[in-house]
Amino acid sequence: MKPPWVFIDEIRRFVESFCACAGTTDNREAQLALAVHELMQNAVPHSHDDDVELTLEVEPEADRVAVAVTNRCTDAEYHALEERVARMNGEPDALRHYLQAMHDTPTAQRGGLGLARVRFEAQLELSVSRTGGRMTVHASGRLRPAPLQTSGGSR
Amino acid sequence: MTAAFQPGGRATPFQVSEEKYSASMATEPLGTRVLFRGTISTVNPATVLNPFLDAVHDEVVKKGERAVRVDLRELEFCNSSGFKAFIHWIQRIQALPEGQRYGLRFLSNPARKWQKTSLLALSCYAVNTVAID
Repeated sequence: MKPPWVFIDEIRRFVESFCACAGTTDNREAQLALAVHELMQNAVPHSHDDDVELTLEVEPEADRVAVAVTNRCTDAEYHALEERVARMNGEPDALRHYLQAMHDTPTAQRGGLGLARVRFEAQLELSVSRTGGRMTVHASGRLRPAPLQTSGGSR
Repeated sequence: MTAAFQPGGRATPFQVSEEKYSASMATEPLGTRVLFRGTISTVNPATVLNPFLDAVHDEVVKKGERAVRVDLRELEFCNSSGFKAFIHWIQRIQALPEGQRYGLRFLSNPARKWQKTSLLALSCYAVNTVAID
């Protein structure tokens, strides 16, 4: 699939509808649609005009959901992302990391916030892998997670 | 992008408009309301939104208002790059002397479920600046 920017909005809408049909509750379908949008939007500029592949697995019986987005990458791009994801996962509190990213990321440039947003707002754990010249960002978690928690309690 | 300034107008003295989204500022009896519409999902919306919000900020400070309503009820989606425009706005407010600071009261749409978690995060980022209706 060649992903012009305009398709990402359509993919997000499709994922939200698909997940709602798969029996998600509360805000889960919107959280998963947000995750897909952010991961696709990260992948497209780095795809070197090659295909971007999206995989979505929804397993209601296993209470599991997984998103994977794959694109072509250079060694430098892969190692930069691998390091970024490792640094993010080094902070166990997803909200604390997200707030720090908001504080640190220059607001005039694109990028820098999407992965932290996926981790906290979509409640998904992130990892990255590489096969051949293509890298995959994996985001997975529970289909029915507990309500989001902040230091002030759940909201 | 289009931008317009209409000194005599009450409805939309400041506004920007892109293919998929628009933003405008209105002066109303309850005070300033900033309305976002559409889908903010372009590559770097900050190039459009930051100057717009800078202009809104300057106007609100000039008028000495204590709160601005930020209307997201017609905003279908906002990507993280667009979300950073709100962070930029909050940082501008927090950089003001304490007596000049004002609050942002977000009007959300329960049908746009992403807004709930995104505004939750934004309220944690700026506890004393952000309120959610």
